[in-house]
Amino acid sequence: MNATDIQIAICGSAGDGTIAAGDILRNAVAAAGYRVICFDVYPPEIRGFGKCISRLRITTEQSYSLKRQSDVLVSLDDSHTIPHAGEVRDNGAVIFESQPISPCAEGEHMSGHVLPGQIPYGFPIRELAQKATGGARSRNLVVLGFIAGLLGLAPASFQKIIEKKFAKQGPKVVARNQAGFQAGFDAGKGSFKLDDAAFGPFEKPASAGKVIMLSGNAAVVQGCIDAELATFFGYPITPATTIMERLATELPKRGHRLLQTEDEISAMAATVGAGFAGARAATATSGPGLALMAEMLGLATITETPCVIFVSQRGGPSTGMPTKTEQSDLNAALYGSPGDAQRIVIAPTNVEGCYRCAGKAFEMAERYQTPVIVLLDLYLSNRYETVTLAASGPPFVLDANKPLRRLEPGEVYKRYALTADGVSPRAVPGDAGCMHVITGLEHNELGRPNDSAEMHTAMSRKRHDKLQAALEHPDFAVTKRFGNTGRVKVGILAWGSTFGECLEAMFMAQAEGIVCSAMKVVMLSPFPTKAISAFMDDCDAVLVPEVNYEGQFAQLVQGVLARPVVRLSRVPSSPMPVELILGEIRRLSGVTASAIAS
Amino acid sequence: MNASASSAQGPRRYVIIGNGVAGNQAAELLRERDPDSRITILTNSRLLFYNRYLLPQLFKGHQSWHAFLANPPEYYVQRRIEVRRDCRVVSVDTRNKQVKLAHNEPIGYDALLVATGGRSHLPEDLADCRSLFHHFGTYEAAVTTRKALPDNGTVVMLGGDMIGLDLARTLLAVSCRVILVTHETTFWPHKLTAEERADALAALEKMGIELIDGDARGGVTSVEAGAPGLPARRVVFRQGGDLYGDVVMPFYGLTPLVEFMVGTGTDIERGLLVNTTLRTSDPSIYAAGDVCQIWSEQDHAYRFYYGYKNVRAMGAVAAINMTGGHEHFATTQEETLGRDGQGHIDSPFWACE
Repeated sequence: MNATDIQIAICGSAGDGTIAAGDILRNAVAAAGYRVICFDVYPPEIRGFGKCISRLRITTEQSYSLKRQSDVLVSLDDSHTIPHAGEVRDNGAVIFESQPISPCAEGEHMSGHVLPGQIPYGFPIRELAQKATGGARSRNLVVLGFIAGLLGLAPASFQKIIEKKFAKQGPKVVARNQAGFQAGFDAGKGSFKLDDAAFGPFEKPASAGKVIMLSGNAAVVQGCIDAELATFFGYPITPATTIMERLATELPKRGHRLLQTEDEISAMAATVGAGFAGARAATATSGPGLALMAEMLGLATITETPCVIFVSQRGGPSTGMPTKTEQSDLNAALYGSPGDAQRIVIAPTNVEGCYRCAGKAFEMAERYQTPVIVLLDLYLSNRYETVTLAASGPPFVLDANKPLRRLEPGEVYKRYALTADGVSPRAVPGDAGCMHVITGLEHNELGRPNDSAEMHTAMSRKRHDKLQAALEHPDFAVTKRFGNTGRVKVGILAWGSTFGECLEAMFMAQAEGIVCSAMKVVMLSPFPTKAISAFMDDCDAVLVPEVNYEGQFAQLVQGVLARPVVRLSRVPSSPMPVELILGEIRRLSGVTASAIAS
Repeated sequence: MNASASSAQGPRRYVIIGNGVAGNQAAELLRERDPDSRITILTNSRLLFYNRYLLPQLFKGHQSWHAFLANPPEYYVQRRIEVRRDCRVVSVDTRNKQVKLAHNEPIGYDALLVATGGRSHLPEDLADCRSLFHHFGTYEAAVTTRKALPDNGTVVMLGGDMIGLDLARTLLAVSCRVILVTHETTFWPHKLTAEERADALAALEKMGIELIDGDARGGVTSVEAGAPGLPARRVVFRQGGDLYGDVVMPFYGLTPLVEFMVGTGTDIERGLLVNTTLRTSDPSIYAAGDVCQIWSEQDHAYRFYYGYKNVRAMGAVAAINMTGGHEHFATTQEETLGRDGQGHIDSPFWACE
């Protein structure tokens, strides 16, 4: 069987239906059993003029990142697509409008930018849309049809997805969009195929679980629901907004609550309050919101209140680049509160990880009585992947709250009792006999203010030590090593969404004969010193790729372990290019370009 | 040698319409002679320049289009020759020196070379049957025809110009049955006397081609889809009778592709009329290849010159003159229809480098 590995990029202007086309395409191919990774890039403006790109990598085997070069590029707006013409590989296809509605100046038509190695496919997209649907709005469906026809994909799964997507708008809209798709499909099927992008023979694989298409944020929501999240407080901010939007639909269905607060300070305060009251509570934000939440995060730490904060990073600082991905809020997530504000910080590396981390975050928050930050980024939040959910049900243990023993008459309840594991019996307001005193002041075991050196030291130690157990949290891999075992030339240490690119680069390097490994670090606080140190022991050189300028994770590693690492810190406003990582692996392993060529 | 100065600011802009032998030969020489210029080839093909003379090989087994490319993609990158593919030229604005493309984009030029060649000619009577014919003029058409032809299938050739007869040789070699319905264009572009023609037809029969005298049957009046259980196409003769084939291919010679030049004020007869420097009546526009008729002092008429050598030489002459030279085209192409050692016909028009 020839393994399929095709990347399709659809580029247009906001309002062209670019992202919608990508959505239909990914759902259609996922329904056929293919694995999909998809990442949409869109402008900060809500509508009009901004560039939108939907990139999908469709494979028969699991892949871990988008490819640097697409096999097919579709232009719904030449002015936006022209700069991306070079992204298409040799013998790949460039599809564009052959009869634009208005004259274009010399050099402003896509056909003038197709490189000699690429195959141009101009066809009358607008005309076909108008003939089939009476209007040009279905141009995105026409190009989808063209892609399906050209690449030999069955139209049935597309028509089904289109029907589902437009069902709410009535049968006429469904029929119109299906007609647009069919017109494009006929044109694509009738085109002589000269490019070599192809879907190999493929049978939908049997799966042990439920295979669904989710974005990172949707997976977070699914994790929250499966972990029986009871209350959510939030304030919209890109790229975290869709978490709240989805939960606003899902939580009330289950009798749970969501409140949009006036700002992030209130959202965090309400989340801490809900946690204090015993409800499973969460909020979601991005970097600027996290900054506003810092004070209340400290309160959650000192009051040892379970709560979960989903932070989807974007380009910063300040408002920064709301629609560009970055990994530059690591320091803020680790340290962004006054005092020794210990907390758990975990970072999934793919969409399935978003689901697991979301559910596990509640486990950890309640087991260790602490705020837990789940650190996402725009690339992960907006990226779609096919995810297999276990048929056996959610893999979360939701009984982490320690049951309080019945108090003896006259016994005094110590909310912050100093215990062997640092975790105190937790009561919630209203538990009979457990008078519950909390304060943002340093306190004694009873929760009453106490600023003695001895008590501050004891409580600081308690808040620190109890988190160390999270490094051994059941059924949760805080780190995981891939690739060669034993001694390696190059070890890649990565976190968050960049790990996918690292894994792709590692596989490519191994294919070139380079002995290398990659370790994903999911738990960033507490720091998995032992595992990372052991990994570094095996590596001649350790490479740390991350999408921020300062090399925040590299600094963390060096700060904790005092061992050298090679930084690959870039802020490309996009995911880290696989080839960049591969180039560093080659360099560090001493492989020269001529050796690769030979 | 340096080109004459550009009429506009910036490098001189050469635009070539057509992506065949003449156009590409001209592009190569233009780059050599004017290194700083902009060179743009416009073509409605989706492929880079490929060798059409090799297309019969498709019938000997599947070959990717890559095998037919005359130059790799890097060739164009290295020489900074822009090839605008999948573009159809609809008109030329000689006053503003702009080529207009079908997608509403103007392409400015300082000097324009028209090298569009010709399309397979189809008699007016058969125009309605166009969709039922199998074609051979492009890679895509040839592959489509190949796919329609079963092993040891039957090919009916109408007319039988030298392009078709070249293909016929290959078809016979792969055990296909070839039926040729003769026409006045049989052996085009060779001009044969009645005696020579009879001799050549006999040679075709000796090669294994089955001949049907088209004129004796009043010519072909239509081509139809074959009935179920019969070959895919039916050829109907004006004076009665029919014959069947799996594919039916018209080979009635070429019609110059000059529609987009109509209305430009440039002299056109059947092709673009040029003097021996290949310049048209517009001093900024040149023509080369099968699209142009060149003034012949000997014949006192404009005439076409066919064949790879001629077309290539025309591309070179045009490029030289577009860059300030003063070369005259003179044919070096042998035009006599010959015989090989087995007595089969052998045409100099089949030869390419």
